[in-house]
This record gives sequence, C-alpha cells and structure tokens, in this order.
Amino acid sequence: MLSTLLASDVVAPFSSPKIDYHALAPELVLAGVIVAVLLADLFLEESKKWVLSTIAGFGLLAAFIPIVTLAVSGHRARSMFGGAYVVDTYSLLVKGIFLLAGYVVVLLSQNYLEEGDYYQGEYYFLLLSSILGMVMMGSSRDLVTIFVSLEFLSIPAYMLAAWRKRDLKSNEAGTKYYLLGVFASAVMLYGMSLLYGDTGTTILKGIGAKLQNGSMSPVAVLGIVFVIIGFAFKVSAVPFHNWAPDTYQGAPTPITAFLSVASKAAGFVALINLIYVAFPHGGDVFQPMIGVMAASTMTLGNVMALRQTNIVRMLAYSSISQGGFILMPLAVAGGKSSGNALTAIVTYLAVYAATNLGLFAVIIAVSRKTRSGEVSSWGGLFSYAPLLGVLATAFLASLAGIPPLGGWVAKFGAFRAVITSGTNWGYALAIVGAVNSVIAFGYYGSLMREIWMKPVPDGDTAPIRTPSSLNAALMICGGATLALGVVPGIILRFSDIIKL
Amino acid sequence: MQLIVFIVATLMVLVGAVGVIVRKHPVHAALSLILTLFGIAVHFVALEANFLAAVQVIVYAGAIVVLFLFVIMLLGVDASEDLRTDPITAQRPLGAIVAVAILALVGTSIIVSRGILKVTAAGKAVKAANNLRDLARSIFSDYVFAFELTSVLLVIAVVGTVLLARKLPKPEPAVKS
Repeated sequence: MLSTLLASDVVAPFSSPKIDYHALAPELVLAGVIVAVLLADLFLEESKKWVLSTIAGFGLLAAFIPIVTLAVSGHRARSMFGGAYVVDTYSLLVKGIFLLAGYVVVLLSQNYLEEGDYYQGEYYFLLLSSILGMVMMGSSRDLVTIFVSLEFLSIPAYMLAAWRKRDLKSNEAGTKYYLLGVFASAVMLYGMSLLYGDTGTTILKGIGAKLQNGSMSPVAVLGIVFVIIGFAFKVSAVPFHNWAPDTYQGAPTPITAFLSVASKAAGFVALINLIYVAFPHGGDVFQPMIGVMAASTMTLGNVMALRQTNIVRMLAYSSISQGGFILMPLAVAGGKSSGNALTAIVTYLAVYAATNLGLFAVIIAVSRKTRSGEVSSWGGLFSYAPLLGVLATAFLASLAGIPPLGGWVAKFGAFRAVITSGTNWGYALAIVGAVNSVIAFGYYGSLMREIWMKPVPDGDTAPIRTPSSLNAALMICGGATLALGVVPGIILRFSDIIKL
Repeated sequence: MQLIVFIVATLMVLVGAVGVIVRKHPVHAALSLILTLFGIAVHFVALEANFLAAVQVIVYAGAIVVLFLFVIMLLGVDASEDLRTDPITAQRPLGAIVAVAILALVGTSIIVSRGILKVTAAGKAVKAANNLRDLARSIFSDYVFAFELTSVLLVIAVVGTVLLARKLPKPEPAVKS
C-alpha cells in the first residue's frame, strides 16, 4: 500500500530535455522585458512612467533581433520537446508579424495612456505578456502548448479590454470577452481531450498520422469540430462573433486595435497549425464547416457594418468580415491548393495587420481633436488634416482591396487559393467573396466621402497635432501597406519559405 | 493496517458529508466538505492511485473549495442563514427523493458491475507505483515549456486582477469614447 509511495528502488536517471536557446531567444528576451517592465514600474515616480513605454517598445524590437539571426542561420527547422515546439521559417515569419504589430500598438498607446490616467506599468506588462503568448503560438505544435499559449494571449487581453475602469462600456467589454472566451476555451479543451483520447498523443504530427479521411472515429470528428469552434471564437467567425462589436467599442482604442489585429492573427495561426499539421487528412470534416463559416462571416459582418454610425463599431464589423476573407483559403486547405492557401492566409494576415493598425492610428489621432467616435465627426477631415485624410483613404482603400495597395495583393491571393482548388466549394466561396468585396466598398466608401466631400461638422478647422509616437505608427503602417502592394515580390517570396 | 486506514478514511468522508448538511454556517459547511474530499484522497492512496490522490487534494480540496469560500465571502454570508424557509417550494422532500434515487443508482451500478469490470492490457502495462514518477518526468521533459509558462501565467493573472480590483487613485478627467 503506502510502501509503493515511499519506494526507493533504483530508477533510470532523469535526462533533461535538450533546449535550443537560440531558437527560444525571442521568447526569453520578451519574458525578460516583461519582468523588467514590472520591476521598473515599482521604482518609477508617477511623472516618469513614460519610460515604461520606451522599455516596452525597445524590448519588442530587441526580441526581433534573434528572429533575424534565426532567419539568416539557415532554413532548417529546429524542433524541441519531442516536436511540441518547432521553430521554422513559417513560425519566424508570424512571430515577426506579431512583434511588429505589438510595437505599433505600444506606439499607439503611449499618449493615449499618459493623457487618460491609466495604470501604465501594468498595462505594458499585460500587453507584452499577450504578445509573448502570440509569439509562442507561432511555434506550438502540440495540444498542451497550444492551449497554454492561447490562455497566455487571452487572459491579459480580457483584463486590458476592461482597462477603462470608470466606464461602464469598458466593464461590459471586459466581462463579455472574458465570459465568452472562457466558454470557448472550455469547448476547445473538451475537443482536445477527445482528440487525445482517440489518438493517444498530444503532438500534432502524431495526431495527423492517426486521423485519415473516411476512417475517423466519431470521437475524433467531434474533437476536430470542437477544437475549431474554440478558435472560431478567437477569430470572431460567425456564429461566434457576438462578443466582438461590444468588446471593440468598449475597450481602450489601442487595445481594440490590438484585439482586432494581433489577437485575431494568433487565432488564425493556431488554426493553421492545427489544420495543416494535425488534420491534413481530415478535410471531409473541417472543409464544409470552415467554408460555411467563412461565407456567413463575411456576409454578416458586411451587412451589419453598413448600418453602423460609430467608427469603431463599424470597424469591428469590418474586421469580422475581413476575418471571413482570411478563413476562405482555409476552407480549401488539405486539397490541391493547400500550399497556395497557406501563403494566402499569412499574406492576408500581414497586410491586414498593417492596414487595420494604420486605420486605428488615424482614429486615435482624429479623436484627440473631435472627442467623438461618430462617422459624421470625420466630415471634411482632408480640409484641415490633409495627411491624415490621405492616409485614412489609403487604409480604407487597402481594406476594400483596391490596387496598388497591400489589400489588393492579399485579396488576390485568397481568391487564387480557392479557385485553384478546382472544387465546387471553392468556386462557390469565390463568388460569395466577390459579392462581399463589392458590399464592403459601401461602408468604406461612405467613410471616404465624409473625409473628402462633407463639410466640417462644427466649422472647427484647427489642425490636429499628432504626437511623434503616433506619427511613427502612421508612417510604419502606411509604408507597409504601400510597400506590400507595390512590391508584391516581398510577398511572393513568402511561398518559398512558408511550408508546414 | 489496511483496515485501520479504511475505517479512518471512511469516517472522515462520512463525518464531513454529514457536516455539510448539518452545519448552519456556510463557511463551516464548506470546511466540512474539505474533510470529505481529504478522506476520499486517503482512499485513493490506499488503492495505490497516487496521482488521483494528489489531484483530489489539489483540485477539489484546494481549488474548488477555495472557490466556494470566495463565493461565500463575496456574497457576504458571514452569519448563519435562516434555514426554515425554502427558496423553492417542496425543496426538502424533493432533495430527499433525489438523494435516495442517486444512492439507488450508484448502489445498483456497483452491484451489477461486480465481476464484469476488467483491467485492460493497456492498464496493466502501467505499474501503479510508477504513475507519479512518469507524470513528473513528462512534466519536466516533454511539457517543461508549457509547465514553466503556466507559472508566468499565474503572475499575469495576479497582477491584472489586483489592478482591476484596486480603487483608482484619483478620478479620470473625462471619459473618452
């Protein structure tokens, strides 16, 4: 009985796992910066808290250095912990997107926080933690690691959404996001436990070897469905999108930008890892499901966006509908155009990140003057803030998919992926997508009309003074949006290096 | 030895279970529940299910009862409640019927399943003595990354929760949209 518990028989010595510290360097640097921010916050006076945003910004750039050194040190995939954590070119690329997006969000937050009297130290601490979770998600190839990464990126985000404590809308945002997020996590965890029970392994590659079209047990099918539902919530795909508009509207604006770009991208990265590594032979299960979700997501998001009068809420629905476009190539994954689809999704994520963050930077800049979130407050923007007007137009045009901006290349890739699949599913999705691209122009265009043609609402044509951090964010996003569109060679190179 | 452990553990379980029902103060009732759960953990140890025993203590006695206590604390039930009125009509007779029904269900399933249940080959391959050791090894080898990060996750949760629960130092100048 108890003797077995206290047994001291000879056991094989424990061999510690091999850790490739170079491959883990981005995560380790980021973890170090997180601790540095938390400690520095303790010793800084209230008037010197701005230092924290500098530490956070430089920390994110410092974490970018090992990504570059890893990228130039050869294209060999580095696998750790029995295949649970893989650093390859694809994961380096998405990690780079997350870090840059995070850097832009830090730039957006700087003045917003200083002027709004928030807790700054903890804000950056939570923001960096969430980014660390996303960076880890890029390399996770194991159910347990994926789950821990997901919670790592979600839990700080729940709290950041509620950061404007005195505002009821913000409380609502945090509570809704948290409750629905936990619910989705539970469903996903249940699916993961079913997958583990059926295949006997948590490593995605091992699961992929066991699951084959036609010979799947009902338990495995249920597992796949539940896991995809869990992440569909994260990427706010219809019908799991209900939290998004309220959360986006209530959260502090930089956090809204962060949620609608980085957090959503992390959800897609997780879906890619799962679908391409664990369910490549499960197309019969996930293709129809994701196809229907993609079609309904873009349609519903667009139709709802047409009716909004609040800019952030309109962008919330627009981001739901863009999510549908990103889901579209995933619906033909596993088939003939699998490689095309993968490239298309990563391209779309990069372009969407640059464009949407840029648009949010404009929103933050304009609302510094107008203190309003209504579409009508943008009237005549071009006449008193020409640069902001032009940039906003460029970002809106990119979201609508007009050449020569990045959004056009992204949409082209997505449509090419579904059409080259050669299935009826693919063609049907392409048609739905094309119709939606036209509808989307309805609300992007109405915003452009406000900027260029409408009169200034109260005749106040004082110019908008933008702080330097916001200018930097605008330049980074504007440059990236334009560069990805005019030099598509950058993106075409993606297809050589993105392989799973 | 085995018999003594069994008797002591069973007494813990039963005394705790009765305590949950009889004690009027909700905090006392929650503490009685801990006694029950610990008794079950002792039973698990006696059956050489060491891992289950540890999980029983950590998850049930640790996390879940602490959650109960938190809820009781948040609702501000610091004095004993007036238990003479039922929130739902005929709550007590219904409760008694459900209790008897569950007892009958569990009892029948134990009697029926005697001699039917077998340990499968996969179950036999795992030596009971090794399950804790195997678990520890996989936590610190294959899953060490996720394990270490979970500890950071707890720090994040603590920092965020403290901040959200704390009072603001001074009022915000104006609520921005």
